[in-house]
Amino acid sequence: MTRLLSDICYVRSGDKGNICTAGLIARTPADYPALLASVSPEKVRALYGDWVQGDVHCYPMDNIQALVVVMHGALGGGATSTLRLDQTGKSLGHALLRLPVAGG
Amino acid sequence: MKPSKDTGTVRLGAGSGFWGDALDPAMEALSRGNLDYLCFDFLAELTMVLLQRQRRKNPALGYIPDAVAAMKALMPAARETGTCLISNGGGVNPRGGAQRIVEDARALGLAGTRVALVEGDDMLGRLDELIAAGVPLTHMETGESDLARLRDRVVAANVYTDASGIVESLSGGADVVLTGRVSDNALYVGPIMHRFGWRHDAAHADRIAAAITLGHIVECAAACTGGMSSRFAEMPHMGRVGFPIVDFHADGSAELSKVAGSGGRLDANTVKEHLVYEIADPRRYLMPDGVADFTSLALTETGPDRVRVSGVRGAPQPDTWKLVIGYQDGWIGESMAFFPWPHAYRRALKARETMLERFERMGLKADQIHFDFVGLNMLHGAAAPLPDDERLAECNEIGLRCAVRTRSPEEAEKVRRASTHLWIMGPGGTSFGTPMKPRPVVSLWPTLIPRELVRQTVQVLEA
Repeated sequence: MTRLLSDICYVRSGDKGNICTAGLIARTPADYPALLASVSPEKVRALYGDWVQGDVHCYPMDNIQALVVVMHGALGGGATSTLRLDQTGKSLGHALLRLPVAGG
Repeated sequence: MKPSKDTGTVRLGAGSGFWGDALDPAMEALSRGNLDYLCFDFLAELTMVLLQRQRRKNPALGYIPDAVAAMKALMPAARETGTCLISNGGGVNPRGGAQRIVEDARALGLAGTRVALVEGDDMLGRLDELIAAGVPLTHMETGESDLARLRDRVVAANVYTDASGIVESLSGGADVVLTGRVSDNALYVGPIMHRFGWRHDAAHADRIAAAITLGHIVECAAACTGGMSSRFAEMPHMGRVGFPIVDFHADGSAELSKVAGSGGRLDANTVKEHLVYEIADPRRYLMPDGVADFTSLALTETGPDRVRVSGVRGAPQPDTWKLVIGYQDGWIGESMAFFPWPHAYRRALKARETMLERFERMGLKADQIHFDFVGLNMLHGAAAPLPDDERLAECNEIGLRCAVRTRSPEEAEKVRRASTHLWIMGPGGTSFGTPMKPRPVVSLWPTLIPRELVRQTVQVLEA
């Protein structure tokens, strides 16, 4: 059975304008290298398809074993004007947990 | 004077994480937390627009009603404990809110209570001045620069301001501080800077960055004590969660805790969860008071529900501050219907087809039409794989949500009409809640303006 990020990570996501930001946190320090190896802007864009329209940036935080994923154009216009129910992207970032763990 | 004032430590509690948050954890922190300051965040991006709308209807309104109610409920106990109450509940009318708080203080017999109001963030009346001065007002996310095309639809314009007004208020002996759109964490940076006499200069950049960081961690209150947690199942008694308390030391290090016996949990992971919340580059967490490097800090669990934060580095305040302009941008019509087993998904598909036929017959003029299948892909959209046919056929129930963007309320109303037509035109078993009314859309135009164009002003009223 392929391991997924949901097996090794926690996540919290939210919004800034039309940007969705999601922080992935390794459950243990030992999980952190696998987290970093499993997430890239290309994989994130492929996962979300047309729900993420802009650039994706990934920022590692070695000190707390986390990775911040910033997705531009990801909220259908932003909280105040989007047609989606998840206006502030609280749920959206959780889909990142579907990514397979690299080499896992 | 509490002992903490002599030991190079200031003790701050979080009293609210948003407009609508519970008041009882703030009361608990105030009565049992031995706090110097209790700080309340009430504002989000859309809030300023809602408050401007209220103020247009009634010039006496435009502050956060819950903020006034919270001050009324807490001021008597705060006087007993010597705790100062700081909030951004002034919204777009800090003066109106402060006057109400003064009246309440008098009625409570709290004569002499000093209520400071901080203004200067509201740029709605100065927008044309900025444009005339040649400030480009370029959209931060899209790079657009033609704000002129929607100038006549602008309904709010507020700058995220720094802690200077709060510091000045506290220097003026305020017991209660009510601000407009200061940055969320300025509510914490202000009392820390005041307590230690810090200025916005290079020598204090790391310590102010530490104050910004602690402010960020606690500004959403229970969000760092078990709220919104991935480990939700491990969080005890969230219905009586304790809000976070910060012991901030003069060297920039701090301890996070909460009232003993309160619900929730505070550990390295709950703090990490909020450190990563709604930020961009963690090396440059950009705030009006300074820039914090979240990758420089260390978290240490020092006891049960106790975490130490140390080592934060940063840079001085940026030359530009964020101005968020809100403008009217059409309407949204929305509907929901639900469908039962067997073949719930096929029923929902048929209902979608029927609604689209209704839209055509009714001549709906829409900018955008959006459908979700509730229970399948409403939250994750394209990232949520559809179950295979066999599992789809066995789904207990599925909903169909429709949302349409229009230019007028009359067009948006057609969505409600079409969805009610499904009551009989729809598939067998179609079930409804209460139909939803069309709602107006306010879009946001975030931009940067030179800091020196913003002038905060402080006035202290006395009960």
